[in-house]
Amino acid sequence: MSIPASLGGWVLALILGLFLGGAPSWAAKVPNAVPPDETYSGEYVEQPIEFPHDTHAAVNEINCLYCHTYARRSSVAGIPPTSKCMGCHSVIATDKPRIKKLTEYWEKRQPPPWKKVHDVPDFVHFTHEKHLQRFVFENEGMQVEDVAEVCAFCHGDVKSMTVAVKVRPLTMGFCRRCHEANEGPFDCWKCHK
Amino acid sequence: MSNKVNRRDFLKIMGWGGVGATLAGCDLPTTVTLEEGKEEVVSYLVPEEYVIPGVGVWYASTCQQCPAGCGVHGRVREGRVLKLEGNPESPINAGTLCQMGQSALQAHYNPDRITQPLLRKNGSLAPVSWKEAMEALVHRVGPSAGVAGERIAWFTDSISGHQAVLLDALRKTMGSEDHYVYEAISQGVVRAVSRDMLGEAVPRLRFDKARAILSFGADFLGTWQSPVHNATQYAQFRSPPRGVLIQVEPNMSLTGANADLWVPIRPGTEGVLAMGIASVLANKHRKSLDRLPAGLQERIHGYDMDEVIRITGVSGNHIIKIASWLSERSPSLVLAGATAEGHEQGYEIVSAIMLLNVILGNVGETIESAGDFPFPQLVARSGDSRALLDFARALEEQRYDVVFFRGANPVYAAPKGLDLAGKLKGVGFKVALSMFQDETTLAADLVLPLRSPLEDWGTHVPAYQGTEAVISIQQPLMEPLYPETRGFGDILLSLLKMYQAPGYQDYADYYAYLRAAFTALPSVLKNGAGDEDFWVAALQKGVVKVPVGEGRLTVKVADIEVPQGGGESGLRLIPAARLGMWDGRHANIPWLQEAPDQITKVVWNSWAELHPRTARKLGVKTGDAVRITSPEGTIEANVYVYKGIHPDAIAVPMGQGHEAYGRYAKGRGVNPLKIIKPVTDAKTGELAAVATSVQVARTERKELFVKLGGSESQLGRKIVATVTADVFERTEGGA
Repeated sequence: MSIPASLGGWVLALILGLFLGGAPSWAAKVPNAVPPDETYSGEYVEQPIEFPHDTHAAVNEINCLYCHTYARRSSVAGIPPTSKCMGCHSVIATDKPRIKKLTEYWEKRQPPPWKKVHDVPDFVHFTHEKHLQRFVFENEGMQVEDVAEVCAFCHGDVKSMTVAVKVRPLTMGFCRRCHEANEGPFDCWKCHK
Repeated sequence: MSNKVNRRDFLKIMGWGGVGATLAGCDLPTTVTLEEGKEEVVSYLVPEEYVIPGVGVWYASTCQQCPAGCGVHGRVREGRVLKLEGNPESPINAGTLCQMGQSALQAHYNPDRITQPLLRKNGSLAPVSWKEAMEALVHRVGPSAGVAGERIAWFTDSISGHQAVLLDALRKTMGSEDHYVYEAISQGVVRAVSRDMLGEAVPRLRFDKARAILSFGADFLGTWQSPVHNATQYAQFRSPPRGVLIQVEPNMSLTGANADLWVPIRPGTEGVLAMGIASVLANKHRKSLDRLPAGLQERIHGYDMDEVIRITGVSGNHIIKIASWLSERSPSLVLAGATAEGHEQGYEIVSAIMLLNVILGNVGETIESAGDFPFPQLVARSGDSRALLDFARALEEQRYDVVFFRGANPVYAAPKGLDLAGKLKGVGFKVALSMFQDETTLAADLVLPLRSPLEDWGTHVPAYQGTEAVISIQQPLMEPLYPETRGFGDILLSLLKMYQAPGYQDYADYYAYLRAAFTALPSVLKNGAGDEDFWVAALQKGVVKVPVGEGRLTVKVADIEVPQGGGESGLRLIPAARLGMWDGRHANIPWLQEAPDQITKVVWNSWAELHPRTARKLGVKTGDAVRITSPEGTIEANVYVYKGIHPDAIAVPMGQGHEAYGRYAKGRGVNPLKIIKPVTDAKTGELAAVATSVQVARTERKELFVKLGGSESQLGRKIVATVTADVFERTEGGA
């Protein structure tokens, strides 16, 4: 064939893309990534307040990193401090029952006792910071506005949930296959240190 | 072989099989419960600006695991202190930290901590509120309780800085004159000899400048003076041109294990050997004895070397070799430690050893003046073992109605012969300020629960300053784990207020007092900074450097008569101090219990070191239990047969054998201090801890004896087995 190899690759991808009827939305928004596709059906967890992720992230289009601000700086994403909630909700939607409950906690000077949904064992060193670097901040062509697509790799489509539900297995096999597909580090001690 | 699988293939198959099994298991449900919604995850209400969950912040403080006073950095994450390291700003430890320092976390998070005040009611200690505790205190000791001041005593471990200032003020207000400062591991005799011979009790030592070190039982890498500081200096001493270390002691210490020449010596004859070495230096190497009194000069010149060899058990060759090393490698440094000072004439023995520094011209070279610390009120009140004996004597005379305890555990450490527990019953009211229910705390009538050193404020001026003098700052690394505990400084302050001592009413707490005290420090320490900036910088660095006054050592050698030693039958019992259990205060720390002993590799237990020749005579092997009997009592321990001990000695480590002190310490091993005779060094009154002869007999009992490593010898083998290329060709590669 006279078409150069690299171009051939593109043509092939295009043809395949057309055949498959277009890639899922994240494929376009997260370049240089092969997202995991395994699923898990986690239980609905009763939280002290039924926090609506959908209202915040889908309806009002608030960036995940606005509240989970530690994700880019630390191993943990961090539950937002209550003061952050009250930053808006001392004026917004103050008449809603869930906000009233939040305000009660705030006035008692107690953060709500949220239940943990996503976790890995203590012998696993998982860091949000490194994953966000790889897929967002050091990922050419990636827009930070689309960070939710990267979060969705492990947390699923939170925009469609109220409180978070575990939708990926988060087992070692899950991690391993994703690292394989995305050429992540593969040494034992990267995670087990 | 009939089948085709050789060893190498077998290992390969096993290896890959293992990996396969592991990876196949990756998708199995984990055995660790990670169910959703089972754990809580609580956010900050209002976060501090600099706090990022999951990211540690390091704060400076001061280690309180031994009196050396190293600076530490503590990693704090989500309000919990998780790791300690050395503070590079501290001139004592310069960024390093020993295993005892690292383990401070396990004292802090120890499950056996006292969490609220305890008051003796109907014979046993019962939890009470602080209000009730303080009422009991006021009732028994308060200004209107009618207790004469001189009938109140304090018994503490080493104390310095502003806590010492407050304690002095409190004692003055109470009228309490007697403050016993006790440390089982101290250099009491060495300090006395240094003071008399050099004019300074704790001069600065320059290991780094020395080209040879001769140490008579000074375990300076383990338990002597300031071990971590010494270790950093020792590293310089060992870097090229490499200095020579000679260790002379009856039982091998950590320092002895590092020596180029380790010389076993009959216990109590160290002075004789020192005189012998002095004699060789004078007669063979023509070293001047001018600075010594005439009588002593004469005796050194005429010292009978055959007698030295006979008494000490050290060979003539070794004596000559030691003398020529010292003579050729100037400046050198000669040190004395616990096994040299713990005798009834310990002062004379240590004097004979220190004499060598004078003869060798080391004073002013490797032994320097530490200078005058400008704040005498902050200087360390260093503990010694004399305090214990003086205290027992005072109890015998029934001199006290009230005794306050802090830090020290005399009931555990006192030899049986002192009957300290019995004598304490004669004291009407005993108050223990304590973190744990140790033996002394259990004997108290009122227990005030202390915060851990990682939760408390304080300042420390270590007795042995490093390369520069400092005030080292102790700041809380986290909120108190138990709200009903109180800081030592806070308790002192509230007692001062209770006595209505003038000038203390306005301080809300010890923190406020410290802030004011730092504001009052002279501006020369502040480098032009404002009070607030100075305080913040001090907290950040953990130390405040203090310029000291110029000091000079003045050599003054008195005539001494060195004891000839020996005489008693039986084996000499050596309570061996180790960096780990220390004097027993760390027996409740699992990390230190499970850390193998540096010499014997034993964990979680006591043992008795015996020379192979002695063991053969007794008919015992490693692991057999022996009964060790002194005039004071009997202990039993498993034998560890080892060449690193003199045949005339038996060494049992200090620190185990607790009757209380929490789940990790209680009922484990034996305490050799219990069966030593309560005799003293005649000059200083220090406990002569190595002066007890014991009878050793085998028993039929066998007990589990856990140690790492099967043999202390390499049996002539290399560390890494190697073969030459042609041997490899012939055997492995030629196939």
